[in-house]
Amino acid sequence: MTVSEQTKVGQNYVDGLRERFGAAILDAEWQTADQVTVTIKLGSLPDVVEWLYYKQGGWLSVLFGNDERPLNGHFAVYYVLSMEGIVKSWVVVRALVEEHRPEFPSVTPRVPAAVWGEREIRDMYGLVPVGLPDERRLVLPDDWPDDLHPLRKDAMAYNQRPAPTSDSETYTFVNDATGSTRDVPLGPLHITSDEPGHFRLFVDGEDIVDADYRMFYVHRGMEKLAETRMGYDEVTFLSDRVCGICGFTHSVAYSSAVENALGLVVPPRAQAIRSVFLEVERLHSHLLNLGLASHFVGFDTGFMQFFRVREKAMTMAELLTGARKTYGMNLIGGVRRDIMKAERTRTLALVAELRVEVTQLVDMLLSTPNLRQRTAGVGILDKKVARDFSPVGPLVRASGFKRDVRADHVYAGYASLPFDVHTEDSCDVLGRVLIRAREFFDSLSIIEYALDNLPAGPVLLEGFHYRPHQFALGFAEAPRGEDIHWAMTGDNQKLYRWRCRAPTYANWPPLRYMLRGNTVSDAPLIVASIDPCYSCTDRVTLVDVKKNKSTTVPYKEIERYGRERKDSPLK
Amino acid sequence: MLKLFKIIADAGEATAKYPFAPFPVSPGFRGKPELDATQCIACAACTTACPANALTMDNDTATGIRTWQLHLGRCIFCGRCEEVCPTHAIVLTPTFELAVANKDDLLQKASFRLQDCSACGRPFAPAREIDYAMALLRQSGVAVDEARRAEFACCPACKRAATVARDAVSQHLSPEAEQ
Ligand code: SF4
Ligand code: SF4
Repeated sequence: MTVSEQTKVGQNYVDGLRERFGAAILDAEWQTADQVTVTIKLGSLPDVVEWLYYKQGGWLSVLFGNDERPLNGHFAVYYVLSMEGIVKSWVVVRALVEEHRPEFPSVTPRVPAAVWGEREIRDMYGLVPVGLPDERRLVLPDDWPDDLHPLRKDAMAYNQRPAPTSDSETYTFVNDATGSTRDVPLGPLHITSDEPGHFRLFVDGEDIVDADYRMFYVHRGMEKLAETRMGYDEVTFLSDRVCGICGFTHSVAYSSAVENALGLVVPPRAQAIRSVFLEVERLHSHLLNLGLASHFVGFDTGFMQFFRVREKAMTMAELLTGARKTYGMNLIGGVRRDIMKAERTRTLALVAELRVEVTQLVDMLLSTPNLRQRTAGVGILDKKVARDFSPVGPLVRASGFKRDVRADHVYAGYASLPFDVHTEDSCDVLGRVLIRAREFFDSLSIIEYALDNLPAGPVLLEGFHYRPHQFALGFAEAPRGEDIHWAMTGDNQKLYRWRCRAPTYANWPPLRYMLRGNTVSDAPLIVASIDPCYSCTDRVTLVDVKKNKSTTVPYKEIERYGRERKDSPLK
Repeated sequence: MLKLFKIIADAGEATAKYPFAPFPVSPGFRGKPELDATQCIACAACTTACPANALTMDNDTATGIRTWQLHLGRCIFCGRCEEVCPTHAIVLTPTFELAVANKDDLLQKASFRLQDCSACGRPFAPAREIDYAMALLRQSGVAVDEARRAEFACCPACKRAATVARDAVSQHLSPEAEQ
């Protein structure tokens, strides 16, 4: 897209970079008015990212690799920074990596938020982050061949994978505690649901000294699938399926990435409708999370009531989109379904009912003595840790940072919708619960306002031209934090590269610091407060650092202990 | 505590009677796709649009049969098929009860006869599609009678060969082509 000089938002960052790093800045190219990709010399990567991050109010939203050998003979790494200083914009730092020297200087020692992304680039592309202290794999299984990097263009077909060679895990869990620990033998994972993970809590008696965890047991290979087997317009429907909660948010992020890349102007009515559907999705997720908060503090009646009322949000979704999950609504260029008068009237009625009922329920939850007692001061996400790791959503907002992609960057219809960004300074589980409760009521008001002020006109842009090798970012605030996508179009109407980052990916790394110093019975609450999928934490291994003893406890048992706080599983 | 009891009392019974009573869905709900095989012209627009590969088409040139297949286990109920179908043969119904005891029952099929080319004799397109093309032309005022069926029932390769042959003759005769 050609962006005129006047509209280049973020020019100040590029000027600053040129002034400071001179010849290391090779090129700056705007994808949209507020997205610029700056190509730099590989050696300056840590300096440049660190400067943008700490000196210019940047946050590291996502980073990823790309196999650009067929395009320019090199691999590339991209670090996406959401600039939230005085000027709000996106700066993507890009550096080329030579094929015969597949390594790049690690940014993690300077900006800790890069840790998972760099581990993933090593797994997926075989590019080595030199200086990255954590040398473990992130995504690939232990017995995956060393020289097979799935996202390289010449690696493998999406539907093939090497046969497993071993049943046991060889992954080392990290424990920074000073006491000595013993290696813990692991049984096969008991997978009860779709997203298992493995937790290890290093404990001293009842106190958590450190924690480590491993995810990606069921990595679905969606990026590879999209790049090799699907048309770019079909990926919209795949991106829905990234998540069972914020699926529509993902497809908005994906569609807008492609729209931004191709320079398409989506009609205002379509953008407003996207915002309505996004808020409907936030409604049911917030109620789910508030329900679970009740459950985890042992208030199961509250859990039942929240879930009963949540049905109304699901009905709203069904009414507006034809499915209880807001799936299948996006196309590149707009939405597939308009909002008619009857649907609008019924939705407004549901909004009014929800407002009354949820107000009562939230009052009830907040006046439950258990809630404060169990959540205040628990699972502290220190502000410094938050600043270092770029977490997103209510998690970062409860640590005092006013970050919400709806307010920080332009997408869907939010530019013309009134809402507040709520923050708390308590940094604890309680703060996160309070923020989600407030955001629930905001969503109701946004839906009302948007329905009363829907712009007229078409809901879909038709007749545009597809061009290969264009790229841009797309993003959308999910209930747990922002989803961010980067898409590059390719030949044959297929994506050349698709990177999709869900909010929990950004929120896992700081979790370790939130667990430290709490008791075992608080662990389920703390994990729940980042609102991951519950099956993520299928099984927990407790390692007593003093007694040098390890126990593996089913997650249900820890959860029960968290609620009842008697009969400790450690005894 | 009292507040809680009041909420519970006001809520009444939240449990639906389903499955002992029907469970109504909203208008516009996207459930099981159903094919009206009498309307379908086997054009394959839906199979091209289907993002989940739930819809597929198989051609058997030996028997001259094209088979349309819907695998409900793969369907994501997006309704793209309905959107692109030129004859409104496939629509998404409000049916959401899709459980089957036998996995094979999720596969639905419809077979269509392929038209043999009037020139080379090889099957090339569904016969229904040719009917449809003729009907469309008739509707827009072009006089297409049954006598011209052979023209329409000619495969693209043979049509091209015929055109090339005809043009070669006419070019040879035209004085401009000589220059
Ligand atoms: S509803 Fe969607 S997934 Fe199902 S058959 Fe139609 S196009 Fe395919
Ligand atoms: S698009 Fe309609 S007419 Fe064509 S094959 Fe599908 S169902 Fe049949």
